[in-house]
Amino acid sequence: MLGDLLFRLRAFFRAESMDAGLDEELQFHLDRQLEKYIQAGHSPEEARRRVRLDFGGATQITEECRQARGTHALEALRQDLRYGFRTLRKNSGFSCVALLTLALAIGANTAIFSVVYSALLRPLPYADPDHLIVLNETHPRIGTISVSYPNFLDWRAQNHVFSGMAVMASVGHNLSGIAQPETISGQAVSSNFLSLIGVHPLFGRDFDPSEDKPGATPAVMLTYPLWQSHFAGRQDVIGRSVSLDGRGFTIIAVLPPNFRTTEAVSVLEPLGVWLTNNNGPIERANRLDTGALGRLAGGITLERARAEMVGIAARLAEAYPEANDQFGIALQPIRELFVGDIRSTILVLFIAVMFVLLIACANVANLFLMRAAGRTREIALRVAIGATGGRIIQQMLVESFIVAGFGGILGLALAFAGMRAMTSLIPAAAMSANGAGVNGAVLLFALGATALSAIAFGLAPAMQSVRTGAHSRLTESGKSSTGGVRQNRKRTMLVVAELALSVILLTGAGLMVKSVSRLMAVDPGFRTDHLLRLNMGLTSSQYPDNTAVRAFWRRLLDEVRALPAVESAALGTHVPLTNSHGRSDITVEGMPLPAPGSFPHPDDHSVSPGYLRTLGVRLLRGRDFTDADSETAPKVALVNARLARGLFPGQDPVGKRFFNGRPDPARKPVWITIVGVVDDTRMYGLANPSRLEIYFPLAQATPDEMDLIVRSRIHPAALTSSIRAVTASIDRNQPISAVSTMNELVQNSVGNRRVTLILLGVFSALALVLAGIGIYGVISYSVAQRTREIGIRMALGAGRQDVIRMILVQGARIASAGLIIGIVAAFGLTRYLEKLLFSVSPTDAPTFAMVALVLALVALLACYIPARRTLRVDPMTALRYE
Amino acid sequence: MLPVEANRETMSRIDLPQGTLDLLILCTLSLEPQHGWGISERVQQMSSEVLCIQQGSLYPALHRLERRGLIRARWGASENNRRARYYELTKAGRKQLETETGLWKQLTVAVNQVLGEA
Repeated sequence: MLGDLLFRLRAFFRAESMDAGLDEELQFHLDRQLEKYIQAGHSPEEARRRVRLDFGGATQITEECRQARGTHALEALRQDLRYGFRTLRKNSGFSCVALLTLALAIGANTAIFSVVYSALLRPLPYADPDHLIVLNETHPRIGTISVSYPNFLDWRAQNHVFSGMAVMASVGHNLSGIAQPETISGQAVSSNFLSLIGVHPLFGRDFDPSEDKPGATPAVMLTYPLWQSHFAGRQDVIGRSVSLDGRGFTIIAVLPPNFRTTEAVSVLEPLGVWLTNNNGPIERANRLDTGALGRLAGGITLERARAEMVGIAARLAEAYPEANDQFGIALQPIRELFVGDIRSTILVLFIAVMFVLLIACANVANLFLMRAAGRTREIALRVAIGATGGRIIQQMLVESFIVAGFGGILGLALAFAGMRAMTSLIPAAAMSANGAGVNGAVLLFALGATALSAIAFGLAPAMQSVRTGAHSRLTESGKSSTGGVRQNRKRTMLVVAELALSVILLTGAGLMVKSVSRLMAVDPGFRTDHLLRLNMGLTSSQYPDNTAVRAFWRRLLDEVRALPAVESAALGTHVPLTNSHGRSDITVEGMPLPAPGSFPHPDDHSVSPGYLRTLGVRLLRGRDFTDADSETAPKVALVNARLARGLFPGQDPVGKRFFNGRPDPARKPVWITIVGVVDDTRMYGLANPSRLEIYFPLAQATPDEMDLIVRSRIHPAALTSSIRAVTASIDRNQPISAVSTMNELVQNSVGNRRVTLILLGVFSALALVLAGIGIYGVISYSVAQRTREIGIRMALGAGRQDVIRMILVQGARIASAGLIIGIVAAFGLTRYLEKLLFSVSPTDAPTFAMVALVLALVALLACYIPARRTLRVDPMTALRYE
Repeated sequence: MLPVEANRETMSRIDLPQGTLDLLILCTLSLEPQHGWGISERVQQMSSEVLCIQQGSLYPALHRLERRGLIRARWGASENNRRARYYELTKAGRKQLETETGLWKQLTVAVNQVLGEA
């Protein structure tokens, strides 16, 4: 079998020399036979005649030998390829259009697929990832939130559905002792974390159960990227010490390159170290930045696990009402965590880009159909000299595969370029460790898309040409035959489909444009221009008490305010749109005491004087903080309008008092007086409603991590280096992180929608152009076909306007069919966009009307150009046409 | 169309039954390596001019046998010092010849018995 194949292949690739050999062999035979006849006494002429008779057709023998060698099919393919290349080169205009159309569509598809693959399909780097479940707590007023550490311990002790459970706490460190100090993030994890997810360190040791207890020796695992960037990938880092927050941590391991955990981290450290440094986790009511991960035990379904865990959470809520009132539990497979809300975006884009490919195929099919119509005679000739239907189809398909193949290669190149642009648009967290890129799966997809499109646009024209080829006679021009009419109908249907798909894409893009423009028009409650935000965390070892921390903040503010081009500067704990927040319960003086889980739970901020002015938040009532609101002055606070409306309906909140936390007989409440009301801000993104907010003066609540906000007279990013210099002059080891302008934060907060908008916009523009070309092609072809008819009409007295109108009516009929089908389909499909829309209904009538208008205009233009061509028709020439 | 003499000539010869051509080629080559013309001459001689191989079927058959690995070809010098393509049996070809010869003998005996009884 194998030998046979090898022989055939060898024969195929050496066909030239084998043919020459065969000729020589036959010639030898011929000559010997001739000699034989001459020796037998025949005259040379007679001998030659006999030889010819014996021999029969030499070409036939050659052909049969080829067949015997088994190279016949390959030979035919080679001929078709050669012939295909030749015809395509001859029609270079046709080939270029077809090739470019496909390249764009395949390129766009491949680029989007690479994102789909890395975000949705690529296997996670864990052992049996489908059984890894992320657990969070939930609260009806807040939604999903972090896990209380004591609750986690109870979950782990009481459940029978997980074979193992690990806890991960987010930590941030100042990494110093290097050229420029910087902030890195990490996770403190229980010692079973790596074995639970099935990951082994690249080298070094795993955590030990003894490291789960408070008092553990500071140790750290480096992620691969940090090891490469800061330790030059040196093997001897194990056992070395690295300075985090001014403390020495021993490096015990390096994690593998594809390692990823539930958030972006640079280091892992033992849970015990985190417990040592924090009193917080001991308190059941504290929900720090902590998550839990469980591996489903054998045979346990997610539903079963959920049922049991909900029961445990309910028991805990009952047992510890102060901490757990109304708190529930949420379970989700770990993949969902990574994909998050980007799934719908990606799927919408993937469907959109598939539409583009379909439109492109329809267009190319149309081109092929049109060309097949012009080749009727050629096909008829080939049928006449004995080509079978299958052979003709094969040859046509070979041509479409050539076009698709080159389109695919060019498309892949385009995809390379497009992927770089796209990964910068799409949040990196959704991607696997290596991000989107070209890999085996993506190449396979490109190949599949190429092959399928070749068949999609090649098969119908191929079959068509066999039918017409078989029916038309050589003498006939084939242009006015009924086959032509049927072909016209097929082409018209393809164009109608293209237009319908374009309508769907345009509608989606239109809805997104409207959503994003409405979103950007939302008043965020603060000024977004000329504003820079930086984050700084002071480490406890260098700033042991509030006095030291306050001194640092005060000096920083003074020096930054003194910089040229700085209009104002201030400090605040939680700048809007940064996803940073802190919340706690409050008790308002005189209010009826609610259940433990129903106390007002506002966002709280600690801000320096000038914060509101720098951020541009409007003061609605009362006064702003001043330097007089010092540590020793009476405790004061500002509240936002929403809190004022919610907690003091119909009253003036200024002068009212509250205290932090819930009533506790063991503690004397510290009363805080409300001195003013400020406007609401969109803390959590422009699309999300504002929450209750309280502001405290920095002097009366001094945190060691703050955002510095600076309003500048120049482009805010230009201030970064001078602020770094100022900070270094105060403390050489103090890192600055999360530097961004407020405009960037706004852009990020609309990120998903913006990506969808841009890509849908690009795709629908592409679709519109292709559909325009499609309708243009059909109309101009039909004009060319009807030249004679038009000539007759004009000779009989029809005006030029009448002729143009006739052509335009034909176009309008096609366009309106596409439009109607498209609008009906879009009406049903746009609801899948709903999640991404903002204050626009998926069936927004003005958008639909606009799309219809745009498409009608494009169609009109595409028909008008060929229609005008009829003006140049000279009746006499037209009548003599052909 | 065909000249009458040619007709007369072919009349005295027998068309080869299906499949016997391969057997004859293998048998001829089992004596010594031979080129195409030599094979047809040899068959004609050995069959006392009764069997005549048409060139139209000889060469395709040779290529088919080569593809099946029963014979192999190489270029060599002919009796009159011309380049000719010589075919020779391979090991597989020799085995095939034995099997086919056995089968052929069984067939002829059986056919003869039937004819003899008839």
